[in-house]
Amino acid sequence: MNVRSITILLSSVLLSAGLVAEPLAVIVHPTNVAELSAEDVSRLYLGRGRTFSDGNSAIPINLAEGMPGRERFDERALNRSSAQLKAYWSKLVFTGKGTPPQEVDSFDEMLKLVATNPSIVGYVPAAAVDERVRVVLQLD
Amino acid sequence: MKKSILAISLMSVLCSGVASANLHINGFASIKGGMSTGSDKSLYGYTNEWDFKNESLFAIQVRSDLGDRLSVTAQLMGRGSNDFDARFEWAFLSYELTDNMTFNAGRLRTPFYIYSEFMDVGYAYEWSRVPRSVYGLGFDNIEGVSLYRTDQLGQFDSTLQLVYGSFDGEAGFGPTQLQNLAGLSWQLGQDWYSFRAAYFSAKVTIDTLALNPLLDGLAGAGLGALVREMNFDDDKGTFFGLGLTVDRENLIAVAEYNKVDVSGSLFAKRTNYFVSVGYRINEYTPFISYESVDRKAKSDIYQPFLPVLPSPGLRELVVGTIESQAAKTNTVNLGLRYDFHPSAAFKAQYSSEKNKISDQRNDALVVGVDIVF
Repeated sequence: MNVRSITILLSSVLLSAGLVAEPLAVIVHPTNVAELSAEDVSRLYLGRGRTFSDGNSAIPINLAEGMPGRERFDERALNRSSAQLKAYWSKLVFTGKGTPPQEVDSFDEMLKLVATNPSIVGYVPAAAVDERVRVVLQLD
Repeated sequence: MKKSILAISLMSVLCSGVASANLHINGFASIKGGMSTGSDKSLYGYTNEWDFKNESLFAIQVRSDLGDRLSVTAQLMGRGSNDFDARFEWAFLSYELTDNMTFNAGRLRTPFYIYSEFMDVGYAYEWSRVPRSVYGLGFDNIEGVSLYRTDQLGQFDSTLQLVYGSFDGEAGFGPTQLQNLAGLSWQLGQDWYSFRAAYFSAKVTIDTLALNPLLDGLAGAGLGALVREMNFDDDKGTFFGLGLTVDRENLIAVAEYNKVDVSGSLFAKRTNYFVSVGYRINEYTPFISYESVDRKAKSDIYQPFLPVLPSPGLRELVVGTIESQAAKTNTVNLGLRYDFHPSAAFKAQYSSEKNKISDQRNDALVVGVDIVF
Protein backbone atom coordinates (compact mmCIF):
# COMPACT_ATOMS: atom_id res chain seq x y z
CA MET A 1 0.00 0.00 0.00
CA ASN A 2 1.52 3.30 -1.03
CA VAL A 3 1.23 6.71 0.58
CA ARG A 4 -1.57 7.82 -1.72
CA SER A 5 -3.79 4.89 -0.81
CA ILE A 6 -3.15 5.58 2.84
CA THR A 7 -4.19 9.21 2.40
CA ILE A 8 -7.40 8.15 0.69
CA LEU A 9 -8.07 5.47 3.23
CA LEU A 10 -7.45 7.88 6.05
CA SER A 11 -9.65 10.59 4.57
CA SER A 12 -12.47 8.16 3.92
CA VAL A 13 -12.17 6.79 7.46
CA LEU A 14 -12.28 10.30 8.87
CA LEU A 15 -15.18 11.20 6.61
CA SER A 16 -17.18 8.15 7.53
CA ALA A 17 -16.57 8.92 11.18
CA GLY A 18 -18.05 12.34 10.49
CA LEU A 19 -14.91 14.02 11.81
CA VAL A 20 -14.17 16.03 8.72
CA ALA A 21 -16.58 17.95 6.53
CA GLU A 22 -14.09 18.94 3.89
CA PRO A 23 -14.97 20.18 0.42
CA LEU A 24 -15.76 17.74 -2.37
CA ALA A 25 -13.98 17.97 -5.69
CA VAL A 26 -15.75 17.05 -8.92
CA ILE A 27 -13.20 15.23 -11.04
CA VAL A 28 -12.62 14.07 -14.61
CA HIS A 29 -9.84 12.38 -16.55
CA PRO A 30 -6.73 14.64 -17.03
CA THR A 31 -7.11 14.50 -20.82
CA ASN A 32 -10.67 15.78 -20.56
CA VAL A 33 -10.45 19.55 -20.97
CA ALA A 34 -14.16 20.26 -20.65
CA GLU A 35 -15.37 22.87 -18.17
CA LEU A 36 -18.21 22.03 -15.82
CA SER A 37 -20.24 24.61 -13.90
CA ALA A 38 -22.26 23.72 -10.80
CA GLU A 39 -25.31 23.83 -13.07
CA ASP A 40 -23.68 21.39 -15.53
CA VAL A 41 -22.84 18.97 -12.71
CA SER A 42 -26.40 19.14 -11.44
CA ARG A 43 -27.79 18.48 -14.93
CA LEU A 44 -25.51 15.47 -15.45
CA TYR A 45 -26.36 13.87 -12.12
CA LEU A 46 -30.08 14.46 -12.61
CA GLY A 47 -30.02 12.88 -16.05
CA ARG A 48 -30.95 16.18 -17.74
CA GLY A 49 -27.69 16.49 -19.59
CA ARG A 50 -25.60 13.75 -21.10
CA THR A 51 -22.69 15.52 -22.71
CA PHE A 52 -19.73 17.74 -21.86
CA SER A 53 -19.55 21.26 -23.26
CA ASP A 54 -17.52 19.91 -26.21
CA GLY A 55 -20.30 17.49 -27.13
CA ASN A 56 -18.57 14.33 -25.94
CA SER A 57 -20.77 12.03 -23.90
CA ALA A 58 -20.44 12.23 -20.14
CA ILE A 59 -20.96 9.39 -17.66
CA PRO A 60 -21.58 10.55 -14.09
CA ILE A 61 -20.67 8.11 -11.33
CA ASN A 62 -22.25 8.35 -7.92
CA LEU A 63 -21.24 7.14 -4.51
CA ALA A 64 -23.55 4.41 -3.20
CA GLU A 65 -26.58 5.52 -1.22
CA GLY A 66 -25.93 5.79 2.48
CA MET A 67 -22.19 6.50 2.07
CA PRO A 68 -21.05 9.55 4.05
CA GLY A 69 -20.05 11.69 1.07
CA ARG A 70 -23.20 10.90 -0.87
CA GLU A 71 -25.68 12.85 1.15
CA ARG A 72 -23.35 15.85 1.16
CA PHE A 73 -23.04 15.68 -2.62
CA ASP A 74 -26.83 15.37 -3.01
CA GLU A 75 -27.33 18.47 -0.92
CA ARG A 76 -24.43 20.61 -2.18
CA ALA A 77 -24.39 19.73 -5.87
CA LEU A 78 -28.02 18.79 -6.49
CA ASN A 79 -29.68 20.89 -3.81
CA ARG A 80 -31.96 18.01 -2.83
CA SER A 81 -32.30 15.58 0.03
CA SER A 82 -31.67 11.89 -0.62
CA ALA A 83 -35.40 11.15 -0.23
CA GLN A 84 -36.28 13.84 -2.78
CA LEU A 85 -33.80 12.34 -5.21
CA LYS A 86 -35.19 8.88 -4.71
CA ALA A 87 -38.66 10.16 -5.61
CA TYR A 88 -37.19 12.09 -8.55
CA TRP A 89 -35.51 9.01 -9.99
CA SER A 90 -38.49 6.75 -9.40
CA LYS A 91 -40.38 9.03 -11.80
CA LEU A 92 -37.81 8.53 -14.52
CA VAL A 93 -37.06 4.86 -13.90
CA PHE A 94 -40.69 3.78 -14.00
CA THR A 95 -41.36 5.65 -17.20
CA GLY A 96 -38.35 4.14 -18.90
CA LYS A 97 -36.93 7.64 -19.35
CA GLY A 98 -33.74 7.26 -17.43
CA THR A 99 -31.64 5.38 -14.97
CA PRO A 100 -29.80 6.96 -12.06
CA PRO A 101 -26.00 7.22 -12.32
CA GLN A 102 -24.09 4.01 -11.69
CA GLU A 103 -22.84 3.77 -8.13
CA VAL A 104 -19.54 2.75 -6.59
CA ASP A 105 -18.81 1.73 -3.04
CA SER A 106 -15.82 3.92 -2.27
CA PHE A 107 -13.95 7.08 -3.24
CA ASP A 108 -11.05 4.84 -4.13
CA GLU A 109 -13.11 3.06 -6.75
CA MET A 110 -14.39 6.43 -7.97
CA LEU A 111 -10.81 7.68 -8.48
CA LYS A 112 -9.84 4.53 -10.35
CA LEU A 113 -12.78 4.77 -12.74
CA VAL A 114 -12.26 8.48 -13.46
CA ALA A 115 -8.54 7.82 -14.01
CA THR A 116 -9.27 5.17 -16.63
CA ASN A 117 -12.05 6.74 -18.71
CA PRO A 118 -12.19 10.28 -20.17
CA SER A 119 -16.01 10.13 -20.27
CA ILE A 120 -16.48 9.62 -16.55
CA VAL A 121 -17.30 12.33 -14.01
CA GLY A 122 -16.95 11.62 -10.30
CA TYR A 123 -16.34 13.32 -7.00
CA VAL A 124 -14.00 12.73 -4.05
CA PRO A 125 -12.94 14.71 -0.98
CA ALA A 126 -10.64 17.51 -2.15
CA ALA A 127 -7.80 16.02 -0.07
CA ALA A 128 -8.02 12.71 -1.92
CA VAL A 129 -7.39 14.26 -5.34
CA ASP A 130 -4.16 13.13 -7.02
CA GLU A 131 -2.42 13.51 -10.39
CA ARG A 132 -4.48 10.75 -12.03
CA VAL A 133 -7.49 13.07 -12.22
CA ARG A 134 -8.34 16.70 -12.92
CA VAL A 135 -10.57 18.83 -10.68
CA VAL A 136 -13.28 20.68 -12.63
CA LEU A 137 -15.26 22.07 -9.74
CA GLN A 138 -14.94 22.36 -6.00
CA LEU A 139 -18.04 22.10 -3.81
CA ASP A 140 -17.55 23.72 -0.41
CA MET B 1 -7.92 -4.86 -8.94
CA LYS B 2 -10.80 -5.81 -6.73
CA LYS B 3 -13.69 -6.70 -8.95
CA SER B 4 -17.08 -6.08 -7.48
CA ILE B 5 -20.18 -7.09 -9.39
CA LEU B 6 -20.91 -3.40 -9.76
CA ALA B 7 -17.54 -2.71 -11.32
CA ILE B 8 -18.06 -5.56 -13.75
CA SER B 9 -21.50 -4.38 -14.76
CA LEU B 10 -20.15 -0.86 -15.03
CA MET B 11 -17.39 -2.06 -17.33
CA SER B 12 -19.87 -3.81 -19.59
CA VAL B 13 -21.79 -0.55 -19.86
CA LEU B 14 -18.64 1.35 -20.64
CA CYS B 15 -17.33 -1.08 -23.25
CA SER B 16 -19.15 0.31 -26.25
CA GLY B 17 -19.42 -1.97 -29.22
CA VAL B 18 -19.85 -5.03 -27.07
CA ALA B 19 -23.43 -6.26 -27.33
CA SER B 20 -24.50 -7.00 -23.79
CA ALA B 21 -28.00 -7.64 -22.48
CA ASN B 22 -28.06 -5.37 -19.47
CA LEU B 23 -31.06 -6.12 -17.30
CA HIS B 24 -32.55 -3.61 -14.87
CA ILE B 25 -35.28 -4.87 -12.59
CA ASN B 26 -37.23 -2.38 -10.51
CA GLY B 27 -40.50 -2.63 -8.71
CA PHE B 28 -43.02 -0.69 -6.74
CA ALA B 29 -45.87 -1.56 -4.47
CA SER B 30 -48.63 0.09 -2.51
CA ILE B 31 -50.40 -1.50 0.41
CA LYS B 32 -53.40 0.56 1.39
CA GLY B 33 -56.35 0.21 3.67
CA GLY B 34 -59.29 2.51 3.84
CA MET B 35 -62.94 3.09 4.53
CA SER B 36 -65.63 5.73 4.33
CA THR B 37 -67.11 7.19 7.51
CA GLY B 38 -70.71 6.20 6.84
CA SER B 39 -72.71 3.48 5.12
CA ASP B 40 -74.07 6.06 2.68
CA LYS B 41 -70.71 7.67 1.91
CA SER B 42 -68.90 5.39 -0.52
CA LEU B 43 -65.91 6.98 -2.29
CA TYR B 44 -63.12 5.64 -4.55
CA GLY B 45 -64.48 2.14 -4.07
CA TYR B 46 -64.38 2.26 -0.26
CA THR B 47 -67.40 1.52 1.87
CA ASN B 48 -67.76 1.82 5.62
CA GLU B 49 -65.92 -1.45 6.14
CA TRP B 50 -62.10 -1.58 6.10
CA ASP B 51 -60.78 -2.64 2.74
CA PHE B 52 -57.13 -3.52 2.15
CA LYS B 53 -57.48 -4.53 -1.46
CA ASN B 54 -59.16 -1.72 -3.36
CA GLU B 55 -56.11 0.47 -4.02
CA SER B 56 -53.24 -1.90 -3.25
CA LEU B 57 -50.97 -2.91 -6.09
CA PHE B 58 -47.70 -4.64 -6.95
CA ALA B 59 -45.59 -4.07 -10.03
CA ILE B 60 -42.34 -5.26 -11.50
CA GLN B 61 -40.57 -3.44 -14.27
CA VAL B 62 -37.93 -5.05 -16.40
CA ARG B 63 -35.78 -3.06 -18.75
CA SER B 64 -33.26 -4.74 -20.94
CA ASP B 65 -30.60 -2.72 -22.74
CA LEU B 66 -29.83 -4.63 -25.89
CA GLY B 67 -26.95 -2.40 -26.82
CA ASP B 68 -26.65 -0.10 -29.80
CA ARG B 69 -29.26 2.29 -28.33
CA LEU B 70 -32.04 -0.29 -28.28
CA SER B 71 -33.90 -1.30 -25.13
CA VAL B 72 -37.08 -3.08 -24.13
CA THR B 73 -39.20 -2.12 -21.13
CA ALA B 74 -42.11 -4.09 -19.72
CA GLN B 75 -44.15 -3.41 -16.62
CA LEU B 76 -46.22 -6.17 -15.07
CA MET B 77 -48.79 -4.97 -12.56
CA GLY B 78 -51.34 -6.62 -10.32
CA ARG B 79 -54.04 -4.41 -8.85
CA GLY B 80 -55.98 -5.35 -5.76
CA SER B 81 -59.17 -4.10 -7.39
CA ASN B 82 -58.57 -6.76 -10.02
CA ASP B 83 -57.74 -9.52 -7.50
CA PHE B 84 -53.99 -8.91 -8.11
CA ASP B 85 -54.20 -10.58 -11.50
CA ALA B 86 -50.98 -9.43 -13.10
CA ARG B 87 -51.10 -7.95 -16.58
CA PHE B 88 -48.77 -5.96 -18.78
CA GLU B 89 -49.48 -2.36 -17.95
CA TRP B 90 -47.05 -1.39 -20.66
CA ALA B 91 -44.47 -3.05 -22.86
CA PHE B 92 -42.47 -1.14 -25.40
CA LEU B 93 -39.20 -0.95 -27.20
CA SER B 94 -37.11 2.20 -27.15
CA TYR B 95 -34.61 3.33 -29.69
CA GLU B 96 -32.40 6.30 -28.94
CA LEU B 97 -32.27 8.23 -32.19
CA THR B 98 -29.89 10.78 -30.68
CA ASP B 99 -28.73 11.68 -27.20
CA ASN B 100 -31.87 13.77 -26.67
CA MET B 101 -34.44 11.93 -28.77
CA THR B 102 -36.00 8.52 -28.14
CA PHE B 103 -38.50 6.62 -30.23
CA ASN B 104 -40.84 4.22 -28.41
CA ALA B 105 -43.23 1.65 -29.83
CA GLY B 106 -45.65 -0.74 -28.17
CA ARG B 107 -48.11 -0.37 -25.33
CA LEU B 108 -47.49 3.08 -23.88
CA ARG B 109 -48.92 5.28 -21.17
CA THR B 110 -50.59 8.30 -22.84
CA PRO B 111 -49.10 11.50 -21.38
CA PHE B 112 -52.42 13.23 -20.71
CA TYR B 113 -51.43 14.53 -17.27
CA ILE B 114 -48.31 15.57 -15.36
CA TYR B 115 -48.31 12.31 -13.41
CA SER B 116 -49.64 10.07 -16.21
CA GLU B 117 -46.56 7.96 -16.57
CA PHE B 118 -45.99 7.30 -12.89
CA MET B 119 -49.49 7.67 -11.52
CA ASP B 120 -49.29 4.15 -10.09
CA VAL B 121 -45.94 4.80 -8.39
CA GLY B 122 -47.26 6.26 -5.16
CA TYR B 123 -43.74 6.79 -3.86
CA ALA B 124 -43.21 9.48 -6.50
CA TYR B 125 -45.79 11.89 -5.04
CA GLU B 126 -47.26 13.05 -1.75
CA TRP B 127 -50.91 12.02 -2.13
CA SER B 128 -52.44 8.60 -1.52
CA ARG B 129 -53.64 8.69 -5.12
CA VAL B 130 -53.51 11.06 -8.08
CA PRO B 131 -56.54 13.42 -7.99
CA ARG B 132 -59.34 11.38 -9.50
CA SER B 133 -61.29 14.45 -10.57
CA VAL B 134 -58.60 15.29 -13.10
CA TYR B 135 -57.16 11.81 -13.77
CA GLY B 136 -60.54 10.34 -14.63
CA LEU B 137 -60.58 9.87 -18.38
CA GLY B 138 -61.29 6.15 -17.98
CA PHE B 139 -58.25 4.80 -19.82
CA ASP B 140 -54.51 5.38 -19.53
CA ASN B 141 -52.67 3.28 -22.10
CA ILE B 142 -52.60 3.09 -25.86
CA GLU B 143 -50.93 0.90 -28.43
CA GLY B 144 -48.78 3.02 -30.65
CA VAL B 145 -45.61 5.00 -31.04
CA SER B 146 -44.14 8.02 -29.34
CA LEU B 147 -41.23 10.36 -29.76
CA TYR B 148 -39.64 11.77 -26.64
CA ARG B 149 -37.36 14.75 -27.01
CA THR B 150 -35.50 16.80 -24.42
CA ASP B 151 -33.85 20.14 -25.15
CA GLN B 152 -32.24 22.97 -23.34
CA LEU B 153 -33.79 26.23 -24.50
CA GLY B 154 -31.73 28.96 -22.90
CA GLN B 155 -32.36 28.66 -19.18
CA PHE B 156 -35.20 26.18 -19.65
CA ASP B 157 -35.45 22.43 -19.89
CA SER B 158 -37.93 21.42 -22.54
CA THR B 159 -39.54 17.99 -22.77
CA LEU B 160 -41.64 17.26 -25.81
CA GLN B 161 -43.59 14.08 -26.37
CA LEU B 162 -45.42 13.24 -29.59
CA VAL B 163 -47.82 10.31 -29.54
CA TYR B 164 -49.77 8.38 -32.16
CA GLY B 165 -51.78 5.25 -31.63
CA SER B 166 -55.09 3.64 -30.82
CA PHE B 167 -57.05 2.27 -27.89
CA ASP B 168 -59.37 -0.70 -27.82
CA GLY B 169 -60.94 -1.53 -24.49
CA GLU B 170 -63.24 -0.41 -21.72
CA ALA B 171 -63.36 3.29 -20.85
CA GLY B 172 -66.56 3.85 -18.91
CA PHE B 173 -69.50 3.87 -21.35
CA GLY B 174 -68.88 0.44 -22.87
CA PRO B 175 -66.49 -1.22 -25.32
CA THR B 176 -64.50 1.69 -26.71
CA GLN B 177 -62.34 2.20 -29.76
CA LEU B 178 -60.16 5.23 -30.23
CA GLN B 179 -58.59 5.52 -33.66
CA ASN B 180 -55.98 7.99 -34.89
CA LEU B 181 -55.23 9.09 -31.36
CA ALA B 182 -52.61 11.77 -31.88
CA GLY B 183 -51.23 14.56 -29.81
CA LEU B 184 -48.41 16.02 -27.85
CA SER B 185 -47.38 17.11 -24.42
CA TRP B 186 -44.81 19.79 -23.81
CA GLN B 187 -43.17 20.64 -20.53
CA LEU B 188 -40.97 23.65 -19.97
CA GLY B 189 -39.25 24.33 -16.72
CA GLN B 190 -36.27 25.13 -14.61
CA ASP B 191 -34.85 23.38 -11.62
CA TRP B 192 -37.74 24.17 -9.25
CA TYR B 193 -40.78 24.78 -11.45
CA SER B 194 -42.35 23.66 -14.70
CA PHE B 195 -45.28 24.43 -16.98
CA ARG B 196 -46.97 21.83 -19.06
CA ALA B 197 -49.50 21.74 -21.88
CA ALA B 198 -51.02 18.74 -23.64
CA TYR B 199 -53.40 18.28 -26.52
CA PHE B 200 -54.77 15.03 -27.94
CA SER B 201 -57.52 14.13 -30.35
CA ALA B 202 -58.96 10.84 -31.56
CA LYS B 203 -61.86 9.33 -33.48
CA VAL B 204 -64.15 7.86 -30.83
CA THR B 205 -66.47 4.90 -31.34
CA ILE B 206 -68.23 3.41 -28.32
CA ASP B 207 -70.76 0.61 -28.08
CA THR B 208 -72.85 2.24 -25.34
CA LEU B 209 -74.51 -0.95 -24.11
CA ALA B 210 -76.96 0.66 -21.68
CA LEU B 211 -78.12 3.21 -24.25
CA ASN B 212 -78.57 0.89 -27.22
CA PRO B 213 -82.25 0.07 -26.62
CA LEU B 214 -83.09 3.79 -26.56
CA LEU B 215 -80.95 4.57 -29.61
CA ASP B 216 -82.45 1.62 -31.52
CA GLY B 217 -85.94 2.85 -30.62
CA LEU B 218 -85.17 6.38 -31.83
CA ALA B 219 -83.70 5.07 -35.06
CA GLY B 220 -86.83 2.96 -35.55
CA ALA B 221 -88.98 6.06 -35.05
CA GLY B 222 -87.15 7.80 -37.89
CA LEU B 223 -85.01 9.96 -35.61
CA GLY B 224 -81.64 8.93 -37.05
CA ALA B 225 -80.48 12.54 -36.88
CA LEU B 226 -80.93 12.57 -33.09
CA VAL B 227 -79.23 9.19 -32.78
CA ARG B 228 -76.19 10.57 -34.62
CA GLU B 229 -76.05 13.51 -32.19
CA MET B 230 -76.16 11.15 -29.21
CA ASN B 231 -74.07 8.12 -30.07
CA PHE B 232 -70.29 7.73 -30.35
CA ASP B 233 -69.78 6.80 -33.96
CA ASP B 234 -66.41 7.95 -35.25
CA ASP B 235 -66.86 11.25 -33.40
CA LYS B 236 -63.99 13.60 -32.67
CA GLY B 237 -62.75 13.49 -29.10
CA THR B 238 -60.40 16.17 -27.80
CA PHE B 239 -58.34 16.57 -24.67
CA PHE B 240 -56.61 19.76 -23.61
CA GLY B 241 -54.61 19.99 -20.42
CA LEU B 242 -52.46 22.52 -18.57
CA GLY B 243 -50.21 21.93 -15.58
CA LEU B 244 -47.89 23.69 -13.19
CA THR B 245 -45.43 22.28 -10.66
CA VAL B 246 -43.37 24.06 -8.03
CA ASP B 247 -40.82 22.37 -5.79
CA ARG B 248 -38.80 25.00 -3.98
CA GLU B 249 -37.05 24.71 -0.64
CA ASN B 250 -39.74 22.87 1.29
CA LEU B 251 -42.77 23.96 -0.67
CA ILE B 252 -44.40 21.60 -3.14
CA ALA B 253 -47.31 22.88 -5.23
CA VAL B 254 -49.06 21.29 -8.19
CA ALA B 255 -52.04 22.41 -10.25
CA GLU B 256 -53.67 20.83 -13.26
CA TYR B 257 -56.57 21.76 -15.46
CA ASN B 258 -58.15 19.93 -18.36
CA LYS B 259 -61.05 20.07 -20.80
CA VAL B 260 -62.44 16.98 -22.50
CA ASP B 261 -65.15 16.66 -25.13
CA VAL B 262 -66.45 14.27 -27.75
CA SER B 263 -68.33 16.32 -30.32
CA GLY B 264 -71.45 14.85 -31.93
CA SER B 265 -72.16 12.68 -28.89
CA LEU B 266 -74.02 12.99 -25.59
CA PHE B 267 -70.64 13.14 -23.78
CA ALA B 268 -70.93 16.03 -21.32
CA LYS B 269 -68.26 18.70 -21.76
CA ARG B 270 -65.81 18.16 -18.94
CA THR B 271 -63.77 20.82 -17.18
CA ASN B 272 -61.66 19.51 -14.31
CA TYR B 273 -58.93 20.96 -12.16
CA PHE B 274 -57.06 20.53 -8.90
CA VAL B 275 -54.67 22.57 -6.81
CA SER B 276 -52.41 20.96 -4.22
CA VAL B 277 -49.95 22.45 -1.74
CA GLY B 278 -47.58 20.55 0.52
CA TYR B 279 -44.82 21.55 2.88
CA ARG B 280 -41.82 19.38 3.71
CA ILE B 281 -40.78 19.33 7.37
CA ASN B 282 -37.89 16.87 7.42
CA GLU B 283 -39.46 13.44 6.90
CA TYR B 284 -43.00 14.76 7.15
CA THR B 285 -44.95 16.34 4.33
CA PRO B 286 -48.46 17.48 5.21
CA PHE B 287 -50.55 18.55 2.21
CA ILE B 288 -53.95 19.90 1.30
CA SER B 289 -55.64 19.79 -2.09
CA TYR B 290 -58.85 20.88 -3.75
CA GLU B 291 -60.39 19.17 -6.80
CA SER B 292 -63.25 20.18 -9.02
CA VAL B 293 -65.29 18.31 -11.64
CA ASP B 294 -67.74 20.07 -13.91
CA ARG B 295 -69.52 18.08 -16.63
CA LYS B 296 -72.03 20.14 -18.59
CA ALA B 297 -74.79 18.15 -20.24
CA LYS B 298 -75.43 18.97 -23.90
CA SER B 299 -79.03 20.16 -23.67
CA ASP B 300 -78.88 21.66 -27.15
CA ILE B 301 -78.84 18.14 -28.59
CA TYR B 302 -82.47 17.42 -27.71
CA GLN B 303 -83.93 20.97 -27.87
CA PRO B 304 -84.64 20.95 -31.65
CA PHE B 305 -86.11 17.44 -31.41
CA LEU B 306 -88.57 18.07 -28.56
CA PRO B 307 -91.49 18.94 -30.92
CA VAL B 308 -90.95 15.83 -33.06
CA LEU B 309 -90.41 13.23 -30.33
CA PRO B 310 -93.53 11.05 -30.66
CA SER B 311 -94.41 10.46 -26.99
CA PRO B 312 -93.93 12.26 -23.66
CA GLY B 313 -92.34 9.07 -22.31
CA LEU B 314 -89.69 9.02 -25.04
CA ARG B 315 -89.13 12.75 -24.62
CA GLU B 316 -88.51 12.24 -20.92
CA LEU B 317 -86.14 9.36 -21.62
CA VAL B 318 -84.07 11.33 -24.15
CA VAL B 319 -83.89 14.43 -21.93
CA GLY B 320 -83.11 12.34 -18.86
CA THR B 321 -80.36 10.38 -20.61
CA ILE B 322 -78.61 13.48 -21.86
CA GLU B 323 -79.06 15.49 -18.66
CA SER B 324 -77.81 12.60 -16.51
CA GLN B 325 -74.36 13.05 -18.07
CA ALA B 326 -74.00 16.22 -16.02
CA ALA B 327 -71.87 16.15 -12.88
CA LYS B 328 -70.51 18.70 -10.49
CA THR B 329 -68.34 17.76 -7.55
CA ASN B 330 -65.78 19.40 -5.31
CA THR B 331 -63.30 17.38 -3.29
CA VAL B 332 -61.07 18.43 -0.42
CA ASN B 333 -58.13 16.23 0.57
CA LEU B 334 -56.04 16.47 3.71
CA GLY B 335 -53.07 14.22 4.18
CA LEU B 336 -49.60 13.45 5.39
CA ARG B 337 -46.64 11.69 3.85
CA TYR B 338 -44.02 10.32 6.24
CA ASP B 339 -40.71 9.11 4.77
CA PHE B 340 -39.92 6.55 7.45
CA HIS B 341 -37.51 4.55 5.27
CA PRO B 342 -35.22 5.39 2.30
CA SER B 343 -37.42 3.30 0.00
CA ALA B 344 -40.83 3.56 1.60
CA ALA B 345 -43.30 6.23 2.57
CA PHE B 346 -46.25 6.01 4.92
CA LYS B 347 -49.28 8.04 3.92
CA ALA B 348 -52.61 8.95 5.41
CA GLN B 349 -55.24 10.90 3.52
CA TYR B 350 -58.80 11.97 4.16
CA SER B 351 -60.91 12.90 1.13
CA SER B 352 -64.32 14.48 1.22
CA GLU B 353 -66.29 14.86 -2.00
CA LYS B 354 -69.36 17.03 -2.30
CA ASN B 355 -71.78 16.22 -5.10
CA LYS B 356 -73.28 19.61 -5.94
CA ILE B 357 -76.15 18.11 -7.95
CA SER B 358 -77.44 15.57 -5.42
CA ASP B 359 -76.07 17.55 -2.46
CA GLN B 360 -74.59 14.29 -1.17
CA ARG B 361 -71.23 14.16 0.60
CA ASN B 362 -68.96 11.13 0.23
CA ASP B 363 -65.67 10.51 1.97
CA ALA B 364 -62.80 8.08 2.44
CA LEU B 365 -59.97 7.74 4.91
CA VAL B 366 -56.97 5.82 3.57
CA VAL B 367 -53.68 4.85 5.20
CA GLY B 368 -50.91 2.87 3.59
CA VAL B 369 -47.33 2.41 2.52
CA ASP B 370 -45.79 3.07 -0.90
CA ILE B 371 -42.55 1.29 -1.70
CA VAL B 372 -40.03 1.31 -4.53
CA PHE B 373 -37.48 -1.47 -4.95
